[in-house]
Amino acid sequence: MATPVLAATATARATRRRGGRRSLTPYLYIAPFFLVFGVFGAFPLAYTAFISLFDWNPIGDQVFIGFDNYVALVADPRFWNASWNTVVIWVLSTVPQLAVALVLAAVLNQALLKFRTGFRMAVLVPNITSVLAVGIIFTQLFGRDYGMINSVIEALGGDRIDWVAGTFSSQFAVSTMVMWRWTGYNALIYLAAMQSIPRALYESAEIDGAGAIRRFFTITIPQVRPTIIFTVIVSTIGGLQIFAEPLVFGGQAGVTGGQSRQFQTLALFLYEQGFRNLEFGYASAIAWALFLIIVVLTIINLALSSRIASEK
Amino acid sequence: MRSRRFAITGLAAAATIGLLAGCSGGSEPSEPAADGELPTGQTISVWTFGATGLEESMEAWAEETGNEIEIKTSEFDPHHEQLLTALATGAVPDVALVETAYSSVFKPSAEFFTDLREYGADDIEGDFLDWRWAQGVADDGTVIGLPTDVGGMALAYRTDLFEAAGLPSDTDGVEALWSSWEEFVEVGEEYTETTGEPFLDDAGVFFQTVYNQGDEKFYSADGSELIYDSNPQVQLAWDLATSAAGISANLAAFSPEWNTGMANGDYAVQLAPAWMLNYIQGQAPDTAGLWNVVTLPEGGGNWGGSQMTVPAEAANPALAYDMLATILSPENQLDVFKEFGNFPSTPGLYEDPALTEFTSPFFSDAPVGLIYTESVEALEPVYEGPKERAILREFGLGIDRVESGDESPDEAWQSTLDAVALEVQ
Repeated sequence: MATPVLAATATARATRRRGGRRSLTPYLYIAPFFLVFGVFGAFPLAYTAFISLFDWNPIGDQVFIGFDNYVALVADPRFWNASWNTVVIWVLSTVPQLAVALVLAAVLNQALLKFRTGFRMAVLVPNITSVLAVGIIFTQLFGRDYGMINSVIEALGGDRIDWVAGTFSSQFAVSTMVMWRWTGYNALIYLAAMQSIPRALYESAEIDGAGAIRRFFTITIPQVRPTIIFTVIVSTIGGLQIFAEPLVFGGQAGVTGGQSRQFQTLALFLYEQGFRNLEFGYASAIAWALFLIIVVLTIINLALSSRIASEK
Repeated sequence: MRSRRFAITGLAAAATIGLLAGCSGGSEPSEPAADGELPTGQTISVWTFGATGLEESMEAWAEETGNEIEIKTSEFDPHHEQLLTALATGAVPDVALVETAYSSVFKPSAEFFTDLREYGADDIEGDFLDWRWAQGVADDGTVIGLPTDVGGMALAYRTDLFEAAGLPSDTDGVEALWSSWEEFVEVGEEYTETTGEPFLDDAGVFFQTVYNQGDEKFYSADGSELIYDSNPQVQLAWDLATSAAGISANLAAFSPEWNTGMANGDYAVQLAPAWMLNYIQGQAPDTAGLWNVVTLPEGGGNWGGSQMTVPAEAANPALAYDMLATILSPENQLDVFKEFGNFPSTPGLYEDPALTEFTSPFFSDAPVGLIYTESVEALEPVYEGPKERAILREFGLGIDRVESGDESPDEAWQSTLDAVALEVQ
């Protein structure tokens, strides 16, 4: 009696195993990504969440304190200050940056432009410059006593500005570094998108009497809309993690983002708490808060930018 | 004793975790030779935060013993951050400097360091100042480090700028100008009024100098409570420093602008722990002979000084100890003082004419040996707690806010106390 049952089971098992092997192969192909993501992405993320529940001294006591770090974080004015600074610097740098990049791309896309390849390469140069070098150069340009920008202002009859000490002036200076570095990069992405727009669209518009500006707004921008959304999201993620620029700009007080924390970003606040004050648990809580803020802002952005020049 | 490498501020530390593996010296753990001799051909890795004045001594030791030395210098705070992460991950150097302001961070974790008593530290304990030695001893008696120099304090000034301002420039004349810090500030105000130039480099340096004159700092003597908001010495340092905002060049200490200002003669007075003499000579070599040194108003004090530690997982602890005992011996510390200005932590020398009669040509033949000896001899141990450095940073930022005119001294005092309260909660 048992034999047919066993045989049937064995067949089923064999089938399942064969089927299993068949379906395993594609997973093996994509496994490297998930392994790397697991080791360098998911695990640190989870471990950070774990540490954030502790008063964590890496060479001393590690005391479980539940959600106390998060409670303290919400009540910490430095956190809200850093969040606000981050958003301001991000807006100050991203909005003009993407607008300029769009125009730049349109110019580079002109068929009549000479030395096109040269220009296209030139706009990418800032992006491959080390962020540290950018920071040092701009910090010197914005220097109070010996900076070139102040010399120019003075030559034009204005007063010297203590760029680092002021709130808006320092945030503006930091934003210019970000802008300088990333505008060309985004312009190239837009350029790639623009090159896939059919020429015929422009030609017929021209025949209908549309000028260059009209063509830019009614053909170019709607056509590159998906690319704009992509760059907005990427710039959001990058812009909210700004770290090296303000750190270098602040010099000795870089970690606190100046004497009044006037340009301390969230990433700097995280670094200050974690590595300078050795509050690793608290820093981990900040890291998670930063993660949540990025998620929320990205969703808002997605909603907003999908309306940019959307087809009616 | 801070590095001048502004460019790598923080960034090195930011990349610490990723880079540690590459930073931790390359040599294999050494096997003690059968006859008890120390191994040769090893590379001893050393982490410091700048001019200890000991670099050449280390090279000389390496040459003599047939080993190599590999020194990695970082900024002051990033250095200690890197050391902490290194200890946590085990990718440690053979020798690492721990400054006194950070000693309370590391001492509770004594098990991460080699107990130097295993190698005979007890035998040389008597050579050093008691309180400097104690700064390297953990609660359980583990000796985690040997003391380097003592940061006895004095005041360096530019004789040429004093003359130009119509002030006396000889040491007796200058010392007669003020008997208290208040009078010192008044002289500064006169100087600034006459010349239109700042008198001091940085009010923050002024704050640290006066704060370091106290027998208590931010913590009570036994370390049991925080007294940063009630300690009269802190209040005094604050009042003096903020009152000096108008005569300060507002150059952040250890920044490139500060270095430039020092070399250009943008200010007339530099408050100077002994190691600062080394810094001035390095940053402003063209000003040789234009400086002189006098004692501080209102007594001596200590600013800085480090312990040289050997992490528990160091590859060559025996060799590392041998090096430390050699370069920190009284004889060598005397040589280092003569050459670089870092003041010895070995009181046996304080009677030695070679030290007390030493004068520095760079500083107009000022009797710097005697001045710093007197500054150091009266010193008592001062407790520095785990949040010492973080609190000091907040006070420094508060003074910066006054210097740049953002806040009044009273507003800044309150905002500083608020900030410290968040830091120590």
